[in-house]
Amino acid sequence: MPAIATLNSLRAGIGLRPTHYQAILEEKPAVSFLEVHSENFFGDGGQPLKYLARFREDYLVSTHGVGLSLGSSDLLSIDHLKKLKRLVDTIEPALISEHLCWVGVNGRFLNDLLPLPYTPESLAHVVQRVSEVQDFLNRPILIENVSSYLEFIDSTIPEWEFVREVAARAGCRILLDVNNIHVNSVNHNFDAFKYLDAIAPGSVGEIHLAGFQDTGEVLIDTHGATVSDEVWRLYEYAIQRFGLVPTLIEWDTDIPALPVLLGEAEKANRVLAAHSQRVANAA
Amino acid sequence: MLHETQTEFAAALIFGDTNAASKIRAGKLTAMRRLEIYRHNFISNLRDVLKDIYPVSLTIVGDTFFLHAADQFIRSHPSHSGDLNQFGCGWPAFIATYPHAAELPYLRDVATLEWAWHEAFHASDAPPFDLGRLAAFPPEVHGELRFVLHPAVRLLQSNFPILAIWEVNQKAYSGEMGVDWDAPAESLMLCRDVTDGVGVLIRRISKSAHAFLYALQTQATLESAAAAALELDAVFDLQGLLLESLQSGVIIDVNVPN
Repeated sequence: MPAIATLNSLRAGIGLRPTHYQAILEEKPAVSFLEVHSENFFGDGGQPLKYLARFREDYLVSTHGVGLSLGSSDLLSIDHLKKLKRLVDTIEPALISEHLCWVGVNGRFLNDLLPLPYTPESLAHVVQRVSEVQDFLNRPILIENVSSYLEFIDSTIPEWEFVREVAARAGCRILLDVNNIHVNSVNHNFDAFKYLDAIAPGSVGEIHLAGFQDTGEVLIDTHGATVSDEVWRLYEYAIQRFGLVPTLIEWDTDIPALPVLLGEAEKANRVLAAHSQRVANAA
Repeated sequence: MLHETQTEFAAALIFGDTNAASKIRAGKLTAMRRLEIYRHNFISNLRDVLKDIYPVSLTIVGDTFFLHAADQFIRSHPSHSGDLNQFGCGWPAFIATYPHAAELPYLRDVATLEWAWHEAFHASDAPPFDLGRLAAFPPEVHGELRFVLHPAVRLLQSNFPILAIWEVNQKAYSGEMGVDWDAPAESLMLCRDVTDGVGVLIRRISKSAHAFLYALQTQATLESAAAAALELDAVFDLQGLLLESLQSGVIIDVNVPN
């Protein structure tokens, strides 16, 4: 499989959304990569792909899928895989990722990132599917831990162990969403730092940071706010454990002006720089 | 086991079934309340998709009406793809039979225009036709030529002034809000802007031009397409429309007769 293109390990990337297209083209902010939702570029042509090709001239791009339904008991959609492959072959992304979840069943898509029961059956199933996707694309993919608002009684494997095992057995790396870990740790009452301790160093290929919303009942992963202090602390811990991992600021609802997003990226840059300095000092 | 869990979960989200609850840990919130959070996410994600594709319809009927109709549509029209750009195709037909929209008979055609715009926006790109290629065909075979339209071209007809409705309901529109309801039936063509290849244009065309282009789109020969147009308009300007279609990127290719 082709090697992953090199990203500037001291700079975070940002999610690319149409509201920021013009500002990014004009200001060319110094971010290490732009991440898009793959499915938004599944069309045959037109403005979305023209813009993406334009951004690709200036930046490395990461394609982040939300609709492959890796964990569904349905067969993988060949049509979906073909469109993903077409996009990947055109854009040559530095990173390709999907979610560790299911999106639909019995041919009906619910188009939301739905949690899996963490059982040996689910594990074997997802491992098989990740392998199928990597073979089809002839590229490695990253799998992302999702936020969740419920747990299945049948689950026998802790989430962190499930994530770790999928990566180890399928031969893929992890897109560790640190905000999702925090959200789940509150929703399901576990220690988020222990979650990070359970993930093998070297297995994390990307980190996501985003904001959540506290409804009073649960924390909801809205991607609609600044990154919380708790999540920054988790992130610092993660960088110490996993090293200078490509980091992305996600913001999908109530999207602010570009400088706000870049401000969050700058905060991540400081964490990366501090770690790099510590490593240099220790050497 | 996984399949059964997912099937029950889906039924909980779509139909409010309670079977899935027995598989979910309760704790601080009940299992049903937890499912309700997902049910809400499922509905609101798909609502947002419909709002994005049908902004004019949304403006016409308002938020409350639109969301009620959307909820019913979402339950009765399954999404069949992980690509949300595929969702919402059946909305114009749905809204035509939606009882609360009976007093807005033009809604279906407005929605048809919006879906056509969505398709034209995402269709393949194609370079404009090289006019020099026509010189290769002797006049006696012209009638047998089959022209190929750009994949983004969509042809529509409506008994309502849907383009005017569309225009006055655009966010950037600042002119008169009135629409001439007595305007004659309308023929429209959506195509790409030849200057940048990706912008979507909506043009009013004559009934005969519609007949001509529709014939070409369904692989008719130039001769029979011209006949279809002349039937509607005895002075139909074939040369003019053909040249304009070639220059504006509406026609992108020609197939040579055998």
